[in-house]
Amino acid sequence: MNVKKYFVRALHRLQKGPGYTYKELLVWYCDNTNTHGPKRIIKEGPKKKFVWFFLTLLFASLVFWQWGILINTYLSYNVTSSLSIGFKTMKFPAVTVCNANPFKYSEVKPLLKELDRLIEAALERILQPSQGGSVLPLPLNGSDNLSQALDLSLWNQLPLVLIDEHDKDHPVIVDIFETNQTGLGNQTAAPDASNTTSEEKKYKLAVKLCSHEGPGNCIYRNFTSAAQAVTEWYILQSTSILSKVPLQERIRMGYQAEDMILACLYGAEPCNYKNFTQIYHPDHGNCYIFNWGMDEEALNSSNPGAEFGLKLILDISQQDYIPYLSSAAGARLMLHQQRSFPFLKDQGIYAMAGTETSIGVLVDELERMGYPYSDCTMNGSDVPVKNLYSEYNTSYSIQACLRSCFQNRMAEICGCGHYMFPLPEGVNYCNNEDNPGWAYCYSSLRSSVGHRQFCIDSCKETCNDTQYKMTISMADWPSEASEDWIFHILSYERDMSTNVTLDRNGIIKLNIYFQEYNYRTISESAATTIVWLLSSLGGQFGFWMGGSVLCLIEFGEIIIDSLWITVINAISWGKGLKQRRARARYPDAPPTVSELAEAHANPGFQHEDSGAQPAAALPPEPGTPPPNYDSLRVRPAAPGPDGDES
Amino acid sequence: AAMAPGRKITAKIKKTLPVTGPQAPTLSELMRWYCLNTNTHGCRRIVVSRGRLRRFIWILLTLSAVGLILWQCAELLLNYYSASVSVTVQFQKLSFPAVTICNINPYKYSAMKDYLSELDRETKNALETFYGFSEGKSKVRRSVGDGNGTGSELFQHIPLLKFEDFSRTVTDLHSGQKRKIEGKVFHKDSSIVNSGDSNDIIGFQLCDANNSSECALYTFSSGVNAIQEWYKLHYMNIMAQIPLETKEKLSYSADDLILTCFFDGLSCDKRHFTRFHHPLHGNCYTFNSGDNESVLSTSTGGSEYGLHVVLYIDEADYNPFLVTSTGAKIIVHDQNEYPFIEDIGTEIETAAATSIGMHFTRSRKLSKPYSDCTETGADIPVENLYNKSYSLQICLHSCFQKAMVESCGCAQYAQPLPAGAEYCNYKKNPNWMYCYYRLHERFVKEQLGCQQICKDACSFKEWALTTSIAQWPSAVSEDWMLRVLSWDKGQKLNKKLNKTDLANLMVFYKDLNERFISENPANTLVILLSNFGGQLGLWMSCSVVCVIEIVEVFFIDSLSIVLRRRWQKAKKWWNGRKSKQGGKPCPEGELERQGHENPACVDEDLPTFNTALRLPLPHESPLPRTPPPNYSTLRLEGSAAFTEQLPDTLDAGPR
Repeated sequence: MNVKKYFVRALHRLQKGPGYTYKELLVWYCDNTNTHGPKRIIKEGPKKKFVWFFLTLLFASLVFWQWGILINTYLSYNVTSSLSIGFKTMKFPAVTVCNANPFKYSEVKPLLKELDRLIEAALERILQPSQGGSVLPLPLNGSDNLSQALDLSLWNQLPLVLIDEHDKDHPVIVDIFETNQTGLGNQTAAPDASNTTSEEKKYKLAVKLCSHEGPGNCIYRNFTSAAQAVTEWYILQSTSILSKVPLQERIRMGYQAEDMILACLYGAEPCNYKNFTQIYHPDHGNCYIFNWGMDEEALNSSNPGAEFGLKLILDISQQDYIPYLSSAAGARLMLHQQRSFPFLKDQGIYAMAGTETSIGVLVDELERMGYPYSDCTMNGSDVPVKNLYSEYNTSYSIQACLRSCFQNRMAEICGCGHYMFPLPEGVNYCNNEDNPGWAYCYSSLRSSVGHRQFCIDSCKETCNDTQYKMTISMADWPSEASEDWIFHILSYERDMSTNVTLDRNGIIKLNIYFQEYNYRTISESAATTIVWLLSSLGGQFGFWMGGSVLCLIEFGEIIIDSLWITVINAISWGKGLKQRRARARYPDAPPTVSELAEAHANPGFQHEDSGAQPAAALPPEPGTPPPNYDSLRVRPAAPGPDGDES
Repeated sequence: AAMAPGRKITAKIKKTLPVTGPQAPTLSELMRWYCLNTNTHGCRRIVVSRGRLRRFIWILLTLSAVGLILWQCAELLLNYYSASVSVTVQFQKLSFPAVTICNINPYKYSAMKDYLSELDRETKNALETFYGFSEGKSKVRRSVGDGNGTGSELFQHIPLLKFEDFSRTVTDLHSGQKRKIEGKVFHKDSSIVNSGDSNDIIGFQLCDANNSSECALYTFSSGVNAIQEWYKLHYMNIMAQIPLETKEKLSYSADDLILTCFFDGLSCDKRHFTRFHHPLHGNCYTFNSGDNESVLSTSTGGSEYGLHVVLYIDEADYNPFLVTSTGAKIIVHDQNEYPFIEDIGTEIETAAATSIGMHFTRSRKLSKPYSDCTETGADIPVENLYNKSYSLQICLHSCFQKAMVESCGCAQYAQPLPAGAEYCNYKKNPNWMYCYYRLHERFVKEQLGCQQICKDACSFKEWALTTSIAQWPSAVSEDWMLRVLSWDKGQKLNKKLNKTDLANLMVFYKDLNERFISENPANTLVILLSNFGGQLGLWMSCSVVCVIEIVEVFFIDSLSIVLRRRWQKAKKWWNGRKSKQGGKPCPEGELERQGHENPACVDEDLPTFNTALRLPLPHESPLPRTPPPNYSTLRLEGSAAFTEQLPDTLDAGPR
């Protein structure tokens, strides 16, 4: 019984909604909504009503269409960039200086002695036939004394060969120190010149690379230039030799700070080699970094111009270069951010001996927003490559990632690490004894496009990209007039003796300073924020229909109401069905909607509302009551529609 | 009953589709109705406010809101075509640019002997006459033939002249005579004369061949410039007569220039280079020109993975007068771009390793309404003479060449030939030099209109270069390096190479970050409409519906009211006149129409809320029905005094 009562009450409450029929509800909505169109539909005459109905529909669909576009725009996460340029006090960049040559030749000579003798002998052999003519003199004919002294085991691990191309189709491979001439069994790595008509070199130099699995698995990496072949071969060989030397020993063999950095001045303050942080760089031996910011605060520079920058005098002692390893002479230097690893091969520049090089610096920064605006990484933690350079305590950079990626692949595939990059855990550097096929493995890995692409895909660039734009100018230094005393003083300061140990071939002056405008910052900001989205949505809705969020809520309310009406109708229909079954056929047809509406709108019923007021014994209130759902509907006094039907 | 069929139809149409005018009989009624029923805020306040001051303030506020809306929307419209810039950085595999390498000296001097011997003799003669420079002391190659001193017509015609006495007296190179000179004087360096420096000035005179009184005098402050300029003038004359195939043979071959080549860790050779003949630089070689194969790309940055070449610069075979510096010139450009090596080339020093680090930036501007640039150059009325994609440089050169062919009748040597034209040479076009110099003068002063016609290209690629130099080969490696390179050079070259004949060049990507600077439209139509909506909503809570209302009420309805008034007046006047004349009764149809337009009749079928629901009009009930809620919520009710004072608000709805 209670349940039934409750339902009746609920039904009664529901019946207090804005209307009993959809039409009533709709009319009520149109008249009361704050959206601009619908009101006109019901206020105007029949033709205009049609026009307004059409217009309202059109505007509503326009609004939804444009909202779609706006939300799409928002979800595409566009950015706008702003550019600022000027001068401000900034951290002076870290400056890495290295010698182009990694080790002092006087120190590494014992290690490389055999190699040098081999290459000298080989060069003699190679250069000989150019005078002789077309026939390559067979080696080991009367020069036994030379070849006996050579350590051919070193050679045989990684031999240089000559390719005789007199007969284009059947090139003959000639090993320089051996007698056997073989036809070209295996293919060469680089394509041969096959259809050129002009007279050209008859011999090519190639490096024979064999994998350790068997002698048959060899490739010949050939070069159009003998100079390149010799350099490449020497690098491979010396890498193998030096990788066995412990790090401390290698540092000792390199250039020491006190020998290399002769004078230093930062702004007006003197500095010396102790202000530089030593780092061992596989390409360039000992490198020295000024203002790295690892242990101490980074220096600021608050003035533009050479007087407030860094001035250095370096000695690269060119006489002590390893002849076959590095053919270019000079200092290698690089400007980079604090706490980042200097990748000199990528970003480094040369400074020429005997000159004063002035470098004006403009810091070109790009500050980007991370995910989802652009695919970059803030600190490299989300990159799937283990950063091997973290042992230097440096920050993530894409170069570090690419090299780590390569080294990891190398350790996986070849079983040893390349000498130029830091080692992953539990892996040793490659050398000819332990890993006989490493050069073959390394060469194929290096030239493999697939591996490179793999690394490019797995590494991400950093969000904050800083470049140092350099304006480089050079002049001769020291001048002829000042040469003598400058060399004298610098030599004296270095070793406290009166011997002049410096010359034009070794000395370099560097000026590094901020330009008048020292920064150019491009920073990104989101082009579309949620505020932008809301105001645009509101603008659209307002523009076409004068609507707001409240209008949407109104609309939602109407939908809920219409659902209730459906429920009520369904219930009453079900009731009616039951009753109809129980009773005989009702003679009259059920009343139409208009009839019902007419009945509701009977003005006579209005009396009840106003009639109630005097009964309440209150003075008549001025003004219409706040519009509630009942404001339009005329409440029937007599039995409701349900009652009518029954 | 006896109606005409036409009239019957119109009556039927009127009955089924009654065309009713505005409901208000007068304009002020209409305005009142509008203000009360409109969706915009403000108007209603004007009508419902009581008191003149209040009403006035509301009128002022509403008008200023309208003004603000108009102003702001105009601003929005004016700023519609603005662009925002976005910079994206992408780390990716980059395609390597084309690198064009030229020897600074265009042709082998030893091979050019036959063509240039006369000119060289003349030049030396001039040097001796004016500066007392004799060949014995010099390093000038003796290989130049000792001709028998006849001297051609040409050199006599345009001789080098030495000016004294403020350019009034001239010493002729040939005759040695002094003579007075007339005509305009063009100074390449104009400040010299004004400074009153009495030093002798050297130059040459160009005269119009048809009219010898028209002469232009070119003077230079320094004999170095004068002699080079004069030499170049005659040199171009001579070169213009040599066919292209011969010129290509006279210049360096790829084997001559490129000693070693290394790209991306692999050996490369001359097949990777494409020959490109430049009129002033002879044979140039473009690496990765994209002509025969696909464009190469690098997937690793750094000096090891770029292009590494050693060039052979045969310093001994240089032309002493044409070029005075030694080395090579390179330019980094896109495969589709024409290398303007004489304009923007980078010079490479010999006996040094030049390392060039590149950083790639791509930019893109928005074309037409946003900025005045051209996408393809197709909309520029200048024919592109170069077989490459459009650039401003190409347009300017083509434009000048076109003007040259039009006014001088022949084409300038340094630029490509237009169809049907040929290069100027003295034999065929004796007047060309004078013509060229005058035209060039006008070109530089922007009188030819080329600078106005030519537009920027909308998108361009730029490789920012960081150039640094190291000594190469180093002191200790020099020996073996030169020996091996000599061997590389091949058997035909017997002499050992000198390090000043060699240049080492490395071109590489510093990083594989591509910066892409692009302009995007800052506004789209959607955003503009949103902004409009925001403005309309902010000031007046208005929308497009209000605008339609305004159009409807202020234009259509007002107009029809005014017309109706006029019509009624006219009819009245007409009727009055008619009745005065003879009292002819009005035709019935006219009356009917009058009835239609009579506002009283119209009122009957007002399309109000009630009629819409087909409900009977409310009877004259003493109590007012609940009015439509939204606009009436503010209305006071119940007091008879109020209702009397505000009759309009009550009546507006039902009427």
